[in-house]
Amino acid sequence: MRFDKRWAAALVVVILSVGSSAQSSDTPILVYKEKYIMGTVFEIAAYAESSEKASAAIDKAFQEIVRMDDLMSNYKPESALSRLNRSAHFHTQKVPPDLYRVIEQAVQFSRLSDGKFDITVAPLVNLWKAALSGDSMPSPSQRQQAEECVGYEKIELTPPDQITFRSSCMQLDLGAIGKGYAVDRAGEMLHSSGICNASINSGGSTILAMGSPPGQRGWLVHLRDPSHKIDPYVMLKDQSVSTSEQTAVSLLAPESAGHIIDPATGQPIDTRFAVSVITSWGTPSDGLATTLLLLGPEVGKSLVDGMSNVSAIWLSPKAEIETVNHGPEIFFGKQL
Amino acid sequence: MQWNGATLPPASSLGVNEIVLAWERGAPRALLATARRQGYRVYVETPLNQATSAAKRCAENSCVGIILKVPEAESAETEKSIASLRSAYPKLRVLLLSPSGKQPKMRGSLIIKRDSVLEVSSPTAQPWIDTNLALIKIEQRSRRPQIPLYTFSWADQTILTADDYSLAVAEAGAFHADLVLQPDEHLQEGLNQRDGEAWALWNQVRSTLRFSAHTSAGRLEPAANVAVIVDQLDTSDEVTNLLSRHNIPFQAFIAVDLKTEELKGFDIVIVFAKLNAETAERINNLASAAATVVVVDGHGTYPWQSSQPVQLNEHTTSYAVGSGKVLELRGPVSDPETFAQDIRRLLGKQNALLSLWNGLTTIAVPYQDRGARMTLLELVNYAGEPLRLQVQVKGSFTMIRYETPEHGCCESLEPVKHDGFTEFVIPEIRIAGRVHLESP
Repeated sequence: MRFDKRWAAALVVVILSVGSSAQSSDTPILVYKEKYIMGTVFEIAAYAESSEKASAAIDKAFQEIVRMDDLMSNYKPESALSRLNRSAHFHTQKVPPDLYRVIEQAVQFSRLSDGKFDITVAPLVNLWKAALSGDSMPSPSQRQQAEECVGYEKIELTPPDQITFRSSCMQLDLGAIGKGYAVDRAGEMLHSSGICNASINSGGSTILAMGSPPGQRGWLVHLRDPSHKIDPYVMLKDQSVSTSEQTAVSLLAPESAGHIIDPATGQPIDTRFAVSVITSWGTPSDGLATTLLLLGPEVGKSLVDGMSNVSAIWLSPKAEIETVNHGPEIFFGKQL
Repeated sequence: MQWNGATLPPASSLGVNEIVLAWERGAPRALLATARRQGYRVYVETPLNQATSAAKRCAENSCVGIILKVPEAESAETEKSIASLRSAYPKLRVLLLSPSGKQPKMRGSLIIKRDSVLEVSSPTAQPWIDTNLALIKIEQRSRRPQIPLYTFSWADQTILTADDYSLAVAEAGAFHADLVLQPDEHLQEGLNQRDGEAWALWNQVRSTLRFSAHTSAGRLEPAANVAVIVDQLDTSDEVTNLLSRHNIPFQAFIAVDLKTEELKGFDIVIVFAKLNAETAERINNLASAAATVVVVDGHGTYPWQSSQPVQLNEHTTSYAVGSGKVLELRGPVSDPETFAQDIRRLLGKQNALLSLWNGLTTIAVPYQDRGARMTLLELVNYAGEPLRLQVQVKGSFTMIRYETPEHGCCESLEPVKHDGFTEFVIPEIRIAGRVHLESP
């Protein structure tokens, strides 16, 4: 599980836009803006008939992401999530609809992965986060204490908007799914502003591709390749891609911490794979990327086999590749 | 500020006292005279091969000095030329300009190019910050006693905003360096023609200019507890860039100039230089006195290897030396991001001079007085969006005062002291902020 997907490897989107010299009055105008939200850089590139329209739509989409941050931030003490984390142990808490929806979807991923994906892993994440920033490694007793607070089945959801924690020390962390949800909401905002061709990028961890650039089949996205030997890429049209990868191994320390924690062991997952997942929307691609990293290729592939419109690739620094394709085709720019 | 136009507004309205005119553009006598009449202290920027004639013209026209724009390849000849110019024109200031700066900027990972293939962006974690701090630290070492002077070209960007200029000014001010700012031609033209939009933009920048002019450069020294020893100062080195971005205060040293006493007080010493017997002995003594020394790619036989080696991982071996240790990293730094995080972990919480929370886009530089007490923290936020920051500094401070270009000096912040550290919350930083730390 992640506490912050800024660690995730950057994806690179290739945007083939129409050159200014070839523009006519009908040529869509490309507007690009970036904004620092949720601890990362959100970028939106949108085509519209005028730069004013594109710019206003992007601003509205950014406002929506800021609103999502105000709901889902663990850092802001007054966010809806922080309030939930403070009080849902004591009594049932009514939460805003977006927060309810994202938690509901997260719990679905937990069920699907038999608890590998778990947003209640926050106490463990916080322990290991401290180790990453200079504290000593957590002791077995500290880990055991934190593990007792973890378990998605202790979240009680009462539709349409009420949540209760069945554990006195449980905390939720939406770092593994929140940005995907925010990207989807931003996409809906662009759509409501009349924008059909755009890409939204949350710091490289999730990219939502709406429509396609003028004259193109889709948005060309280069996927994370820790080996630098494969150059996998996809053409996305009304699809999303997310990437998940464990923190790089320490060069100078005997043990490595890491930001993606396996709830089953209470420890950072030991894998060198980077996983990219392509689905129709940002929330599932974001949630699945972490899930598939935790499950590994063997179990992960069988999970994806039961899904439609999903493709995934696991790639290691040694250029080991595992793929599963029930959605967009993954191409390789280089041959081994 | 560099000015390319034939006319220029008065210094008092621009809020800038020093103007740089390019010798290559001719720097005509009339423009030199106009600039002086408009209230500027005038510098002429020249390449090295035209420095003598530029200095002559400059001296005849009461310029304050000349600025030599010297690519790194020509730096060997530079010292001689400077000495001879200073001797020929003792009243003229002769300054060296590093052209290796970059536009300060927070970057995303989407790369958009028209009609072309695109490239991979940052290889490290998001958000990526383009900062000049490492360059300035290296210039502080290599150009002493001159205050680092640098310039940069604006990245490919159609419209520059007040925030772009303000960030550039704030960065130079916070890092106690001098910047030759290059306003784009549209802005220069607009300011000359009294265009309302141009002046509205510039008036926003002026608040940062005023703020940055009130630095304590000269009275205070940058505080650092990490030393980096290299054979040659390299302004493009990614490791020093990443140390800067992770708010690890460091000081650069050149191996051949190294004096043991200079390294006293550093908790970690990172050695990239090739070691000879003498330097290795100094490193060994330093580690004995409780420092942690990280030797990168330093193959050879060294005094510390007589102690029992401990294999930490596939990359690194550790040797206990006296009350300190030497870590040998077998190869070059393969991942500067991970290396910088490792250095922060090695420092540990007890030795961290400063820590920021919610500060991924903020670089903070601590400064100390001559008694080695930290007294000032300069902050730059590259996101340009208002941020609430939580800060922890080493030391016990009773009064914390905070100033910004927007709200002036000073707002009192509530210090919380524990275990030899002081914590406080900065309610909002947009681009620049300055924290005054006062102890009884």
